[in-house]
Amino acid sequence: MEALTKYILKIGQVDRRWIFLVLAIVVFIPILIPIGMPIRATDTTKVVYDAIENLPPNSKVLVSVEYSPSTKPENHPMTISILRHLFKNNHKVYVTCLWPDGQFMAQDALKQVAVEEFGKEYGEDYVFLGFRPGNEAVVKGIVSNIRKLYTVDVYQTKVDEIPLMKDVNKFSDFAFLFSASAGYPGTIEWVQYAADPTGVPMSSGVTSIQVNEVMPYVQSGQIIGVLAGMPGAAEYEALVGQKGFATSGMDAQSIAHLVIVLFIVLGNAAFFIERQRSRKY
Amino acid sequence: MKDKQFWLILGGITLAFLIYWFAGHPFFNANRIFMFVAIVAIGSTLLYNIRMAERGEEFYLRPIPGLKAVEEAVGRSTEMGKPVLFVPGIMDMDQVETVAGVIVLGHVSKMTARYETSLNVPVSRSIVMKAAREACRESYMLEGRPDMFNDDMVHYLTDDQFAYAAGVNGIMIREKPAACLYMGKFYAESLILAETGNSIGAIQIAGTASQAQIPFFVTACDYTLIGEEFFAASAYLSKKPELIGGVRGQDMVKVVVISVIILASVLRFLYETWDIGFDVIKLLTVQ
Amino acid sequence: MIWKRQIPIFIVAVVGAITLFGWFIDQPNIKSFVDDDATQWYDILASFAIILGALNLIKLQLQKVAKKKPGWPYSLVAIGGFIFAITAGFIVKGVDDSVAVWGAHVTTEGTVFKWMFDYMFTPLSATMFSLLAFFVASASYRAFRIRNFEATLLLVAGIIIMIGRVPIGSVISSWFIMYILVLALGIYVNSWKKDKMITFGVVGAGIAIVTIAGMLTGWPLDKPGIFYLPVIQEWIYYYPNVAGARAIMIGIGLGIFATSIRYILGIEKSYIGE
Repeated sequence: MEALTKYILKIGQVDRRWIFLVLAIVVFIPILIPIGMPIRATDTTKVVYDAIENLPPNSKVLVSVEYSPSTKPENHPMTISILRHLFKNNHKVYVTCLWPDGQFMAQDALKQVAVEEFGKEYGEDYVFLGFRPGNEAVVKGIVSNIRKLYTVDVYQTKVDEIPLMKDVNKFSDFAFLFSASAGYPGTIEWVQYAADPTGVPMSSGVTSIQVNEVMPYVQSGQIIGVLAGMPGAAEYEALVGQKGFATSGMDAQSIAHLVIVLFIVLGNAAFFIERQRSRKY
Repeated sequence: MKDKQFWLILGGITLAFLIYWFAGHPFFNANRIFMFVAIVAIGSTLLYNIRMAERGEEFYLRPIPGLKAVEEAVGRSTEMGKPVLFVPGIMDMDQVETVAGVIVLGHVSKMTARYETSLNVPVSRSIVMKAAREACRESYMLEGRPDMFNDDMVHYLTDDQFAYAAGVNGIMIREKPAACLYMGKFYAESLILAETGNSIGAIQIAGTASQAQIPFFVTACDYTLIGEEFFAASAYLSKKPELIGGVRGQDMVKVVVISVIILASVLRFLYETWDIGFDVIKLLTVQ
Repeated sequence: MIWKRQIPIFIVAVVGAITLFGWFIDQPNIKSFVDDDATQWYDILASFAIILGALNLIKLQLQKVAKKKPGWPYSLVAIGGFIFAITAGFIVKGVDDSVAVWGAHVTTEGTVFKWMFDYMFTPLSATMFSLLAFFVASASYRAFRIRNFEATLLLVAGIIIMIGRVPIGSVISSWFIMYILVLALGIYVNSWKKDKMITFGVVGAGIAIVTIAGMLTGWPLDKPGIFYLPVIQEWIYYYPNVAGARAIMIGIGLGIFATSIRYILGIEKSYIGE
């Protein structure tokens, strides 16, 4: 018992670099040896899936990509799953970016899904409009007049010459918006300036940290569901029926969370023992 | 009703608007009338309290430990002979939080001028660099120490979020400031900065209105100014009556907002359950 | 003096008032200014202002190299990186015009810029962001201590969210949680009554009740839902969390409004100096 107490006290004062090392190991091992834990979709994810599944055929859907390589593990699997879902149901996809890095991310996602998986035709099935600077001004510009903002697409082709851009002049010409967002500008700007004023339904996929900020809008119905971080992306992959990076990351995330909880519990045990000892003496 | 001038002007503006409204309100978006009235009402409340404070009325402000600790932090740095690190967030001057951060920097730089402590302000945007430099220059001049001010005190690192975090971390590890102040708009890099500051043993005071980052700062920093406390910081530090009056005005508006929430909830309940009254959500929805 | 004081305050007051009240006005020119032009003017200013920042950065790094200050080799790397990025963005495309024109070259495969983005910027960004995972662990370990009731509540909610959010939470049976609650109840009764018999009685009764209930219902994994971690974490996200988030949002919104009004009316002038 004394030995156990001493051991727990030692853990209570452990150098944080040991915590880093243990965490690195427990994250690495499940990536090498997958456990394959079952993914259970939460209500907020199911609502997003149902909203897209119930879109009328050949709907025009705006997908806005605003994340950078730093949050790629969380946001990119969402974007890929959403694109898969949209192309599977033969909807018309229009891609914009509020972040400059988002253009690279969108490029990668479209190359993987639209070109390699579904063999979709550019200009007929999807359009990549790209990034424009201006933060909220871009959102407001899309709401009022998309052609004033986007005279050319990302490949410098005139927007007037793209068949899919026919009859698309402003935001309300779209049937749905999905925003894959990691911060500002992003989901909140889309809700405030586009989706809520025009009534166009929108969903969003955000990083786990951002879910807190976005939840009031989800609860009030201004956003239809939310994909919350990598778990949300993994749940959507399960619903779409095609596992990807998010699913493979869930094993590692599960074990990592357990290890963090274990450290917290041991830290508190040490804290209690110290407190009792100081009261005793 | 003490401030006759205020009530006369407000009455005049109200009358003028009523005349304009009944004359057909050309060019006015009538769907947004509720928001317009709310803005005028809130603005008037703030102005009234500011004018009351300027006339000499004393208002009580509860003590905020984080702001009291700013001077202690600068004092600690002076004693240890180490610099003070001030991070005004990663966004540009179009964000209110960044402007509030630069204002707090003005007060902090007054303290560093007074105590002859070195100040390091790495910034993420060029316009913030210029504004922060001006704020620091003025503060050093007011304290009678223009010789101590150096343009390179406020220096630009990079616009990119994580490159900036890496740069600030590098400054922390190399220079080991005794006090780290984070005042502005932050995103995911907040915990990286705060944890690194913790690892070098610095006293850390953070102030932000970035909701998602508040928990990280609360966990890793010694003191955190949450939301409105950060915006009230300039009032606390300067003790200017007009700013203190503004804080009081904010609190009065908050009481009204709470009352509206409760009233709207009751009205909504009555409407939804028994069809009594009207749909208050339609009235409150911004068009 | 007028250029440093009155003119900036006048510009802030006029532009601020137009932007604020312009939202209520249905006139095309004002709407266009408020919706598009005002933010775009700012972006144009900020884009040119970046030159100031870049020059400042280069000046400081060159000074460090010239005076051989501590850490000067890293300044060489910074200067080299700066020159490389400028070259890749504006001077050397790496492919000819038939593959990608200037502008499209930033996202086209095979260009120097895209190579730099994929193999330098992306790994570096991801590395910095991944530090958060380790820092969250060390910060939680240090900060989550049961010091008082609020800290305990924070700790318990944090653990429920952490476990409930990931797949491992959905494989933990609600009956397991009930057994843990019985044990926690036992600890509380023991610290209150300090009587081993009473504690043993309470824990024994609790275990018996849970076991009998489980046997009767067939030990379903996710029922009763009130003890199933994913359900609890969803409830915490949807109700207490949103309530707190909304309250902070309203407060922040009011703070932003009050601060902005002070800037527009010229009451707060510290951003241009006293």
